[in-house]
Amino acid sequence: MATDFWASSQYKRWIVDRATLRQARADDLLYVEDPEHLDFLAIYFAEVVGKLGKKLRLPQRAIATATVFFRRFYLKNSYCETDPFIVIAACCYVAAKAEECPVHIKNVVGDARQIFCHDPYNVKSFTSDNSKLAEMEFYLVDDLECDLTVFHPYRTLLALCKSVDGSEDLAAAQEEEAGEVGTGIAADDGPRYWGTGEGQLELPPNGLQTAWFIVNDTYRSELCLLYPPHLIAIAALYLTCIFHPATHETVAAVLASGSAGTTASAAVDPPPRRSSRQAAERKKPVQDPLAFLAELNVSLPLIATIAQEIIAMYTLWDRYKEDASAADATPDSRGDDEAVVTPVLLTAVLLKMREARFQDMSHPSSGRPVAVNKMLERTQAAG
Amino acid sequence: MDASILQNDPMRMYRSKRDATRRSVSSKYSILGFISSGTYGRVYKAQSLGEDAKIHAIKKFKPDKEGDVITYTGISQSAIREIALNREIDHENIVALKEVILEDKSIYMVFEFAEHDFLQVIQHHATTLRTAITQPVLKSLIYQLFNGLIYLHSCHILHRDLKPANILINAQGVVKIGDLGLARLIYQPLQPLFAGDKVVVTIWYRAPELLMGAKHYNKAIDCWAVGCVMAELASLRPIFKGEEAKLDSKKNVPFQRDQLLKIFEVLGTPEENDWPGVKDMIEYQNMKRLDPYTNRLYEWCQTRVRSPSGYDLLRQLFAYDPDNRLTAKEALQHKWFHEDPYPTWNAFQAAQQQMPPHRRITQDEAPSMVPLPAAPFSHTQSKPGSSTSMSGGGPYVVPSGGNGGNGRKKQRMG
Repeated sequence: MATDFWASSQYKRWIVDRATLRQARADDLLYVEDPEHLDFLAIYFAEVVGKLGKKLRLPQRAIATATVFFRRFYLKNSYCETDPFIVIAACCYVAAKAEECPVHIKNVVGDARQIFCHDPYNVKSFTSDNSKLAEMEFYLVDDLECDLTVFHPYRTLLALCKSVDGSEDLAAAQEEEAGEVGTGIAADDGPRYWGTGEGQLELPPNGLQTAWFIVNDTYRSELCLLYPPHLIAIAALYLTCIFHPATHETVAAVLASGSAGTTASAAVDPPPRRSSRQAAERKKPVQDPLAFLAELNVSLPLIATIAQEIIAMYTLWDRYKEDASAADATPDSRGDDEAVVTPVLLTAVLLKMREARFQDMSHPSSGRPVAVNKMLERTQAAG
Repeated sequence: MDASILQNDPMRMYRSKRDATRRSVSSKYSILGFISSGTYGRVYKAQSLGEDAKIHAIKKFKPDKEGDVITYTGISQSAIREIALNREIDHENIVALKEVILEDKSIYMVFEFAEHDFLQVIQHHATTLRTAITQPVLKSLIYQLFNGLIYLHSCHILHRDLKPANILINAQGVVKIGDLGLARLIYQPLQPLFAGDKVVVTIWYRAPELLMGAKHYNKAIDCWAVGCVMAELASLRPIFKGEEAKLDSKKNVPFQRDQLLKIFEVLGTPEENDWPGVKDMIEYQNMKRLDPYTNRLYEWCQTRVRSPSGYDLLRQLFAYDPDNRLTAKEALQHKWFHEDPYPTWNAFQAAQQQMPPHRRITQDEAPSMVPLPAAPFSHTQSKPGSSTSMSGGGPYVVPSGGNGGNGRKKQRMG
């Protein structure tokens, strides 16, 4: 199971389609004035999970697992009917245990209070009662259907890439995280579960780091519910080829030499614009990263789609500003569609949604709880 | 009502919605009786109220209490592990988890029911039949055990607590490895294995590298334990029945002198030729002070295993150097399994009379399964013959005189 994604609970039960995602937000959509705010909330919540996870000193993978738990929980529930902050605390608490780096429940409650009770979240009364968090943990594990083993793109990145040099920090961090890897464990990793690709992609200095950060950023979207993690990793590598200057230079050089796409290791003469120092370093054949990706046994159109969605997330995230004053600085330079969104604003949006939902549940006009479709009302008023 | 409830009880809407759809244990199962209890909680025999009317074993984790009030505390690391691993795996020779029910602040894990376990078989032969377990049965049990272990290891799971009480057998004679409460994924772990649990594996089944203080270990520890189980099935008593040295007040792990001596008495004192890494181990200096012994495993096997290839398998499972120890996969290729008598999928096919009697259940404690609000279930009840394992109870009592009493228990820390 640890190597076989196709036999995992994640593949069998937790990869969903867009329609399912839309259905999951249907109730929230009735209570939000601007539907785009729901996409911003996806970023907002990922940031909250990350903040609490870092304060608890959870490793990146445990934070990623907590984020996946959060997304899975809200496949079945609405933001407006729940308290996402207690859910986030429970996600971090369970993920820490699931990833074998447990933290004490009172630390989770304490750290959560410190973060949530202040700007920009201002949760007025986050519980100080451990048993409230433990209760939420119970409901959470139940809603997660006890599927607590999560696959992430990081492993694919490490399996696919080697860094030429200069990424010692990352390598050291991985070694620290990996613990005893190397004591007879790494020796029998078994076949790659995504296909037949062999060998490793050589990335220029910091190339792997860039791909790693792109993977971190994907958790701000709902991609982890839509696609298998190894495809997200490959899409992150593809984007690294485009956005990471040194990697892009390698790709450009290969393309310029006209041998792109023929073999994974094309012998390339350094193009004239390279400095002589760089040229001297290149003694062995240069690997073509794009050809390497092409030779993986995965659907490239699908990789391109995922890459597009990652870019769409970055576009959205670009308008998400932690600092309200930065937002005020450029009030009119953007059109209405491109208004800057801050956590303070989203906190207010969330509270309004929850209050409206609560009102509707308490004062049903027809005896049954009825939700008011504000979107529909606006459309009708406009028409 | 006003919206201040969002402040005071923000999850109220969610809870009422969830509680309305939740199905209780008692609505799905009828509790037939109590099987055993341990530090984690208790195990019950239950029948599904669905159409199949199947029999199950329900493991109820102990709810934590503050005073007399049962309250929510966090789900234990052990329960999280057992749930997380069981949800991913599926194999004929591993006890299958049917479902998990979270109710009344308690966790109920519903497993397929297994009528017998290795400990029962040993006790049945030792006390009732007063004969050795026959070769076909012995070989079939070990073959199927390895078959399940290969699956676990191929999933990068270390069991870390293999012992007769944790290895079950169903009524069809199929071996089922149980109790993944101490099991762990070893694929790219975020923390060294040592960081989580300072002591793993019940002392009698604990591999020498663990006894010598290794912080890094691997699948070979499970293979050592299978060697111990095989020897115990062959001789009807634990082969290395040492006394565990307890943790000191600072929870330091002590030198397990007696257990190592028990091993050395049979296998001889390890030499650097057999185990090059031994001189770098934490307890090496302590080990050097012990009296030297020579290997007499061959003599030990003469009257007990009664098969040259059986001896050879045991010899390779008891390799001191973990890197030289037979892997589960290699073990299944061993010639012992490929010569007459051959292993069978019904382990008792050749000898039904060797099957132990059915697991005994008791009725009187069954009502305590679901605690009443007024009378939360009592932890003070203690059954004679109960053991720390979900399967080790029933009619047989572990002989518990002298140094044997604590042997089957493991210590869990951290």
